[in-house]
Amino acid sequence: MKKIGIALGLVASLMGSAALAEAVKATPGGAVNMVLLPKFLGILPFDQADRGAQEAAKELGNTGTYQYIGPTPENSAAGQIEMLTTATTQKQNVVMLSNNAGDQIAAVAEAAQAAGTKVVTWDSPIPSGKGESVFVAQVDFGSIGTVMADMVMDLTGGSGEFAILSASPDAANQNAWIEAMKKVLAADAKYKDLKLDDVVYGNDQSEESYNKALGLVDKYPNLKVIMAPTTVGIVAAAKAMQDEKLCDKVKVSGLGLPAEMVSYTMNGCAPEFALWSFVDLGYLTAYTSYMLATGAIKGEVGETFHAGRMGDFTIEADPGRAGAKRVLMGPFTVYTKDNVEAAAK
Amino acid sequence: MRLHPMTLRILALALALLATVLFFSTQIDGYLSPRMFTRITTSAAVILPVAVGQAIVVITRNIDLSIGSAVGVVAYLTGDLLGSHPDLHPLVVALIAMGLGAGIGAINGVLVAWGRVPSIIVTLGTLALWRTFLVQYSDARTITTASLPQWLVDLPQANAFTLLGVDVRVTVVLAVLSAAAMGLCLGRLRAARRFFAVGSNPDAAVMAGINAGVVVFLAFVLSGALAGLSGFLFLAKFGNITVVAGMGFELKAVAAVVVGGVSILGGSGSMLGVVIGTVLVDTIDNSLTRWELVSEFWRDALLGFLIMAAVTVDTFMSRQLTRFARKEG
Repeated sequence: MKKIGIALGLVASLMGSAALAEAVKATPGGAVNMVLLPKFLGILPFDQADRGAQEAAKELGNTGTYQYIGPTPENSAAGQIEMLTTATTQKQNVVMLSNNAGDQIAAVAEAAQAAGTKVVTWDSPIPSGKGESVFVAQVDFGSIGTVMADMVMDLTGGSGEFAILSASPDAANQNAWIEAMKKVLAADAKYKDLKLDDVVYGNDQSEESYNKALGLVDKYPNLKVIMAPTTVGIVAAAKAMQDEKLCDKVKVSGLGLPAEMVSYTMNGCAPEFALWSFVDLGYLTAYTSYMLATGAIKGEVGETFHAGRMGDFTIEADPGRAGAKRVLMGPFTVYTKDNVEAAAK
Repeated sequence: MRLHPMTLRILALALALLATVLFFSTQIDGYLSPRMFTRITTSAAVILPVAVGQAIVVITRNIDLSIGSAVGVVAYLTGDLLGSHPDLHPLVVALIAMGLGAGIGAINGVLVAWGRVPSIIVTLGTLALWRTFLVQYSDARTITTASLPQWLVDLPQANAFTLLGVDVRVTVVLAVLSAAAMGLCLGRLRAARRFFAVGSNPDAAVMAGINAGVVVFLAFVLSGALAGLSGFLFLAKFGNITVVAGMGFELKAVAAVVVGGVSILGGSGSMLGVVIGTVLVDTIDNSLTRWELVSEFWRDALLGFLIMAAVTVDTFMSRQLTRFARKEG
């Protein structure tokens, strides 16, 4: 299998150099043993990513194995480190990781790379970029800030107070988005009448997020919007506002799953929220990983490759993390009562 | 007059709660309001049954760490059942939830009582086991409010009665009733005193003709059934149930039980103490969220510190009061 891999790599790199400026195409039928490792098992976004990755593996005619494994929710960080270590000793070709262990996992990822197992991150990167081949970014983290700021603009009518309900204080992606939003607010004069009162953390638990949302409402009587860039937080906050009959006064927005948000969008508690497609994210991640493992691409900045139905992508320097590389997917879908019902099905 | 040490503990605990409330009322605008009362009581109501169940297990000199997963599994399965059978009578639904919980507790009970495996090991195992079961069973589907019958969605807002302008919610009454029932049984029922006997001296209990295995088994079944009730309240309150539901409840319950004056060495504790302990922990948590002076990052540390302070003050005060009571006597 290894030989086939090398041969394929040779063929692919020859093709790559022949058509320098054009997007590199994957050679189907290679044998790449892949592992998709989400933060934890059992919630919808990660299952959707799994669906996308399987679709890509099938399309590529991958003759290697494909595994979707992950820790249970209460064992997320430690479980991820353990599973990445196991994948390395099993000589898997590539592990696709949505990192929930911060930089703690960097050493294990570096060891994996040294042993020949590529580590491609998606959804949530390794903050320092150490041990990571490339990060498949769902959207530009900076543009999430703009989208969040614009949704607050819409919901407040241009001026007023709002607060952020995040997941946990050490979630790399959430923190990057909040920072991006603060920058956007400071940079553009059209947001000057928006006031960010507070940032609180619900730790992706229903009861904590629910209580924190009510706490915000009590603490800031003029609050107009709760911005929750987390799928758990946004539903809990919407439920809290609905329960307290506050939906006319305080709107909830952020990043949410249409299937979970549909009733709150229709009844006006959360009129507007955003998300990207996790199916597409899984698909693109699997494509990138396959091409890296077969040697079709090297994971260098400037390489352009063709990812099936999603078109061409270029590896670029990650503006948020010095020295790290990313493949940028995008874009967002903003959901309102006009499109949420169709997406919820 | 001579006061029982347990009465003193509860007095000390009640004073600690009073001091906490008075302190925050000087710090937070509109703190002593009916709204704040509803906020804290409805939030404590979800934890209270689990804490009561935990107390019974701790009294028998065991611990039940599996309840976080039990709450999640029951909330999910009950929600799932209501999705396919929305016409079930509310009482039947609550009983099914408690039955599911009791089943989970029975497995722990058998392993601890007759398998002779230490409870901390057994319940750590079942904690992981039931969470894994939930991950497998749920297949990443979320239970949403839309799939639940209207009575359940409205339940958390339903008012049982209003006393002096303060609303007491149905969920709060349910939780308090479960604690009161357990408290009455432990205090008045001869059979229930066996929990204390087994916890304070297992060998002596066996000598006295008590079947310690059955007692420990029943403690775990009760703990499971009460976790089932918490699962039911969790489902009603949050509506949106995923595989993370109830995570960390075991620690909250242990905190409430310890603050409530139940001895972690077994053999002593009161349900009134557990109720006050639960309310105290929840009051501190909910008040810190609304306190301007501390940043988000310090809240968790401060919560831990305040819990320790509450326990220390409680121990100190009850010692002083015992001395005082002796002099009086």
